[in-house]
Amino acid sequence: MTTVLSVDALAKTYRSPGRTVEAVRDLTFDIGRGEFVCVVGPSGAGKTTLLRCIAGLMPGTGGSIHLDGTAVTAPPAGMAVVFQEYGRSLFPWLTVRRNVELPLAEKGVPRPARRARVDEALDAVGLSDSGNAHPWQLSGGMQQRVAIARAIAYEPSVLLMDEPFAAVDAQTRAELEDLIRALWHRLGITVLFVTHDIDESVYLGQRVLVLSRSPTEILADLPIDLPAARDQLTTRASPRFTALRAQVYTLIQRAKAGER
Amino acid sequence: MRRPLLGAAGLLVVMALLEALPRAGLVDGRFLPPFGTTARALGAQLATGGFWTVLGQTARGWALGLALAMVAGVVAGMVIGSVPVLRAATASTIEFLRPIPSVALIPLVVLVYGSRPESALVLVVYAAFWQVLIQVLYGAADVDPVVRDTARSYRFSRWGTLRTVVWPTVLPYAATGFRLAAAVALILEITAELVIGVPGLGHAIGVAQSSGAVAETYALVIVVGLIGVVVNLSARAVERRVLRWHTSVRRDL
Repeated sequence: MTTVLSVDALAKTYRSPGRTVEAVRDLTFDIGRGEFVCVVGPSGAGKTTLLRCIAGLMPGTGGSIHLDGTAVTAPPAGMAVVFQEYGRSLFPWLTVRRNVELPLAEKGVPRPARRARVDEALDAVGLSDSGNAHPWQLSGGMQQRVAIARAIAYEPSVLLMDEPFAAVDAQTRAELEDLIRALWHRLGITVLFVTHDIDESVYLGQRVLVLSRSPTEILADLPIDLPAARDQLTTRASPRFTALRAQVYTLIQRAKAGER
Repeated sequence: MRRPLLGAAGLLVVMALLEALPRAGLVDGRFLPPFGTTARALGAQLATGGFWTVLGQTARGWALGLALAMVAGVVAGMVIGSVPVLRAATASTIEFLRPIPSVALIPLVVLVYGSRPESALVLVVYAAFWQVLIQVLYGAADVDPVVRDTARSYRFSRWGTLRTVVWPTVLPYAATGFRLAAAVALILEITAELVIGVPGLGHAIGVAQSSGAVAETYALVIVVGLIGVVVNLSARAVERRVLRWHTSVRRDL
């Protein structure tokens, strides 16, 4: 498996006059092409810092990040981010279609190709009929689907997701989890999924990276050996799922206690 | 349905009072003629070609000044607002220039342009510009950080960000700036005409007053008020159309 994203000794210290906070101490991991990796950690573990560094929205203070072999110093072309705050990440002044299309237009994709990719992406998230609506006319779950459609239409090497389902209700959340699993399966995209939800990380990922308490290091890199075909009922009820869940849970508890 | 009715009722009461007060002898009819007399004077004015000429002069001066101030205010505001260094560098200058009342510039413009329309134009543009600029600056500073991150992570160009992210955020603020500027521009246009003698409604009011045509004076003042109402109503109508996605306008949610 070829490495698509490689994070090497990433560190981030916030400095302001009279105050220094070491948020991330040493993060090193690789993600192979087509992998689905979840990052989970206790709250305040620097998940957002990690994600913003990888997305190129914020420079690290040490170490390096490479996407497709190129150092990340600004938002890279091969990355798309789905933010937690879907309601604010979508542009309310544009229709759903235009929201999905705009990054492609900015990228310089010609109009006919753009149209086809928008249609495909909206179809993939089940929103073919809502293209002409404005995001604020849709439910929260549908809005996050629009943000996902926008990200997959961009055809990134890596799809970054920052606690994307943290703000939707439990039923919608289960639906979106299955949707993202299905999209990953069908489109062969690479997903880095940051979450604080232990069950979600085990259910979705092929690998779970457990972060230590801040200043952050990797506490464990856990392969999730559940079968590829997963569903909310049988997977979550399987003994293997329960065992893995318990394992991640214990790791998080140890992280909270300060182990690194 | 009730609101416009109530509004009309209030207006009728004022008209009735204006009619009754001078007739009852409570105020001197020489200084405040009964409303009926003023209305007749207004009707007579509407029939003259001269009235429409001065109305056109005022409208032209106002619209031109407002348009210039809008363009300058929006462009300057977007540029200053999206470059933090510029914003910091200009803040104190803006705070110094903004409170200078436009009328304080009257001696200066008289010196340069006399009573030509340019005099009024300078005053109108100066006064209206700050209204627009301040609003647009607020708007440009109000871009949602998540929206900004979204645009950055999708690698929007500087121009693309201005056009597709900053401008829509600024738009509601610019609309407010427009309504404020429209009112201020009208005040300055009339002031310049009245004080400096730039041709237009204000000048006509001055002439009517100094020749003792009290009813005509009131009639022209009413016309100025009506212009203000029409301007405000049309600005709101445009706002509702352009900003139908905005929380202040949209119905759902």
